[in-house]
Amino acid sequence: MKQLVAFSLLTLALFSCQKVIDVDLNEANPQVVLEANYTAEDSTVRVRVSITSSYFDASTSPTVDNAIVTITDQAGNVITVPSVGNNGEYVLTNYIPQFNTTYTMNVLYNGVNYEAKCYLQQPVPLEEITYEFTPGFFGLESGYFVYLRIQDEPEILNNYLIVLGLNGTPFSDLSDMFLQDDLFTDGNLLERPLFGAFELFQLGDTVDMELRSVDVAVYDYYNQVIGIASGGGGAAPANPTSNWNNSALGYFNAYGNSRRSVIIQ
Amino acid sequence: MPKIILFVLLSLLAFQSNAQRFTISGSIKDAANGEDLFGAAVVVKELTNVGTTTNAYGFYSLTLDQGEYTLIFRSTGFDNFELKISLNADITQNVELKVPTDVQQLGEVQVNAVKENDNITSTEMNVTRFDPKSIETIPVLFGEKDIMKTLQLTPGVKGAGEGNAGFFVRGGGADQNLILLDEAPVYNASHLLGFFSVFNSDAIKDVSLYKSGIPAEYGGRASSVMDVKMRDGNNKGFGASGGLGLISSRLTIEGPIVKNKGSFIVSGRRSYADLFLGLAKNQDVPKDTKLFFYDLNAKANYRITEKDRIFLSGYFGRDRFQLGDVFGFSWGNATGTLRWNHIINQKLFSNTTVVYSNFNYEFTIGAGDDGFGIRSSIQDWNVKQDFDYFLNKNNTLKFGINAIHHTFKPGALTGSNESFNEIVLTPRYAVELGAYIQNEMKIGSRINIMYGLRYSGFDLIGKGNAYEFDAKGNQLSSTSYDSWETIKYHQGIEPRLSASFIISENNSIKLGYNRNFQYLHQLSNSTTSSPTDVWVPSSNNVKPQIGDQIALGYYQNLNKNMYRISTEIYYKHLSNQIDYRNGANLVLNDQVEGELVYGKGKAYGFELQVEKKKGKFTGWISYTLSRSLRQFDDIDNGDWFSARQDRIHDFAIVLMYRVTKSIAISANWIYYTGNAVTFPSGKYEVNGQIIPYYTERNGYRMPDYHRLDLGFTWYMKDRKHFEHNLNVSVYNAYARENAYTITFQDNPDNPGETQAVQTSLFKIVPSVTYNFTIK
Repeated sequence: MKQLVAFSLLTLALFSCQKVIDVDLNEANPQVVLEANYTAEDSTVRVRVSITSSYFDASTSPTVDNAIVTITDQAGNVITVPSVGNNGEYVLTNYIPQFNTTYTMNVLYNGVNYEAKCYLQQPVPLEEITYEFTPGFFGLESGYFVYLRIQDEPEILNNYLIVLGLNGTPFSDLSDMFLQDDLFTDGNLLERPLFGAFELFQLGDTVDMELRSVDVAVYDYYNQVIGIASGGGGAAPANPTSNWNNSALGYFNAYGNSRRSVIIQ
Repeated sequence: MPKIILFVLLSLLAFQSNAQRFTISGSIKDAANGEDLFGAAVVVKELTNVGTTTNAYGFYSLTLDQGEYTLIFRSTGFDNFELKISLNADITQNVELKVPTDVQQLGEVQVNAVKENDNITSTEMNVTRFDPKSIETIPVLFGEKDIMKTLQLTPGVKGAGEGNAGFFVRGGGADQNLILLDEAPVYNASHLLGFFSVFNSDAIKDVSLYKSGIPAEYGGRASSVMDVKMRDGNNKGFGASGGLGLISSRLTIEGPIVKNKGSFIVSGRRSYADLFLGLAKNQDVPKDTKLFFYDLNAKANYRITEKDRIFLSGYFGRDRFQLGDVFGFSWGNATGTLRWNHIINQKLFSNTTVVYSNFNYEFTIGAGDDGFGIRSSIQDWNVKQDFDYFLNKNNTLKFGINAIHHTFKPGALTGSNESFNEIVLTPRYAVELGAYIQNEMKIGSRINIMYGLRYSGFDLIGKGNAYEFDAKGNQLSSTSYDSWETIKYHQGIEPRLSASFIISENNSIKLGYNRNFQYLHQLSNSTTSSPTDVWVPSSNNVKPQIGDQIALGYYQNLNKNMYRISTEIYYKHLSNQIDYRNGANLVLNDQVEGELVYGKGKAYGFELQVEKKKGKFTGWISYTLSRSLRQFDDIDNGDWFSARQDRIHDFAIVLMYRVTKSIAISANWIYYTGNAVTFPSGKYEVNGQIIPYYTERNGYRMPDYHRLDLGFTWYMKDRKHFEHNLNVSVYNAYARENAYTITFQDNPDNPGETQAVQTSLFKIVPSVTYNFTIK
């Protein structure tokens, strides 16, 4: 929907001008940022712990290597996620996923314990990818776009994050990711054309599609963070609602996925 | 002793029985075209502070003791008319006022000697009133005469900025202004996202903006009332007028239905900005791109008998934006009003009105089989009965009742694309009621008081569902209701007061108090207010907004009323203000009430205006110093924060200079400090990308805004039945890039570094318009 309003503002863009300006910003008290992903596909937990820094600072935010990170399954078994270097990363491999259970993560840093929970849903499979040709418009050259196709399970609330890729390389930018829920399509075969800021596909391209089944808190988080990353965020932008407690920024996403590819012929 | 008492009693009796009172009543009209004059005055030359003013239909009534009097009939821009009367019985006297013959020029506001200090004497406090003649030479965006933009040059009224529809009055929200066009509510008063207003000034007779001391006859919004009255049309002869401009053109045709008894007026306007897109020579813009708006105002009235008159008026307007086959967006208002004036007796005037109003918008995406549309609308049916009772020379009463039936259709998703279930969000229905009584009273020769009481009620009814939510916005329950079954009833008592104390002929003090309940709320979560902003009714979850305002003013005229100075201070408290949770989803959300949080607001300020009303040089300077703050338990830990429209200093200077009989130049310069805005106070990375970190809401300010507009009008030689002029104007003459938005993003040349990018909408915009009038 925001894209639609953005389209209408694009015309105004024909008359408008932009320039870089100097803005005086305050420096906030540093806040901890916890980005945690538990990928069922490769049974790996990856966590990055960092701290906020001043907005115009040219270097990346400082990272934390002495936090204690653990993951707990629904039965209560606690496993430590060890630090793997000096850039704030913590990785745990061979952690076999149990679908349809809830995982809890804890991070102890500077005397504060941060906790988040996430429900690992049985991943929904992708249907075969179809594609269509379109003549170009608004700066896009002609080419092909693909359809997201999912046979939705009725009555279960499904939320998805979709990542496309070209010839094996994913479009990993937040603003290239797609979100989909099943509010309007519950129980149906969903077919949605995927248009993004990236170029349309050409003959011979291999298009990869990854469908991540995420829980609703993570869906809301990505919805908000994608909005902010695209320069939007509405009239009163705020930090995306995190599933961590104690005001930590970031998210904990435990997810399964389904992948398909198609060659444009 | 008893003889003296008897003598005194008898004298009193004699005095009583001789003091018979009679009423003189009738209408006051413009001699040139028969238009009713609203707010025209009738005063008695021989007495102080004795007189009355005409109501909205030009009707006046004055009750005096039997005797001989000289009455003076007057109105701004007209010659006074004096009449000697012998009041020995009730008299009906209709008067037509003439424009002074030595005032040929338009745009020079000639104020007659005796009425010039009406700003000192009238109780109407905080009313900014414009008649289109006086704003004709003000340069506005794209050379169009625009009443909304002109009101934003007066103190206390702030535009929402370039590209934004809506305006803020004394720190209130954009949805807190009741905009009426011939008594019909207008839900979205702008075209092209705020660049033009929906009011075609050729069809408008009067615009009154009430900022405080709002009379009891108005209700439904917390901050202000903008009452726009359409012209009735020339009932003496046919005429046409219009203008051809670079961006839009307009045409008005008017004339009598039966000479002196009835008339009609039809006025249309259309823009053609899409032609410019064609000139953009941009292959990116697909064929069949449309961007235009149109307005049509039509009105007819007829005097059936001496005491009865009917009016039928309508407005239709639409904006359309279409991007080839890919995307379309349109919105518009349609209103219709049917009124019956009836003079019941010399003192009692009745008006019965039926109004229909519809506002809707529509998105369409794709075309044909793959396309789908989203449509939303608000529809009102309103019945009103108002009475004006001119009780005696010191008291004029107004009372009445009204009922509005609202139908909200917040969204329907339709289309032939099979993957979308057809969604129709539950329509909502409500009945809004009002009853009021008000008296305008004179005490002695110095005090005028208008006091009144309004009762308002709001009944949210079925057919539909009502939801209950927990503190986090999760739905707890859903209850369904039958047609016309009450879901929730809200009500309020609204006292209104406005008083003036005349210190002398040249200065006065005024006081105003009003309490206003508002039952409809507009949710807007974008930096630009958009026609797609959702209107929600009060319900079991949403309480009515309440505005309480007190204001005090001091007015001084100098140099024989050449200069008018007004200073006002106000304090306003707002209850039950609405805001949203983070990441709220306002679109196509049947349970949008779960996304809302509630709090309160306060606004206070000082306004100063100095006007020069006479001479070759006229104009005004206005300055507002104000704050507007909000407090929500769920936002910023419950701390007070600045509202988005908090703009501390707001300054405007407007000058009009009549160089010669055929040349007029005008200029306005506007300066205001920036609105409150939320900027990041830090950053962090997610997904390897820089994400801004926000701390307080609205803790920063946009850069200051200022611009200069210039206008030049050449009044070309008049012919017998034909007048014309050419207007050249420049918007933003020194091409300042005023900030429309500021976004924070990665530096494209240096990822890892961030920068602040400012987008401005207009640099210098010239415009040429040719205007003509045929009589």
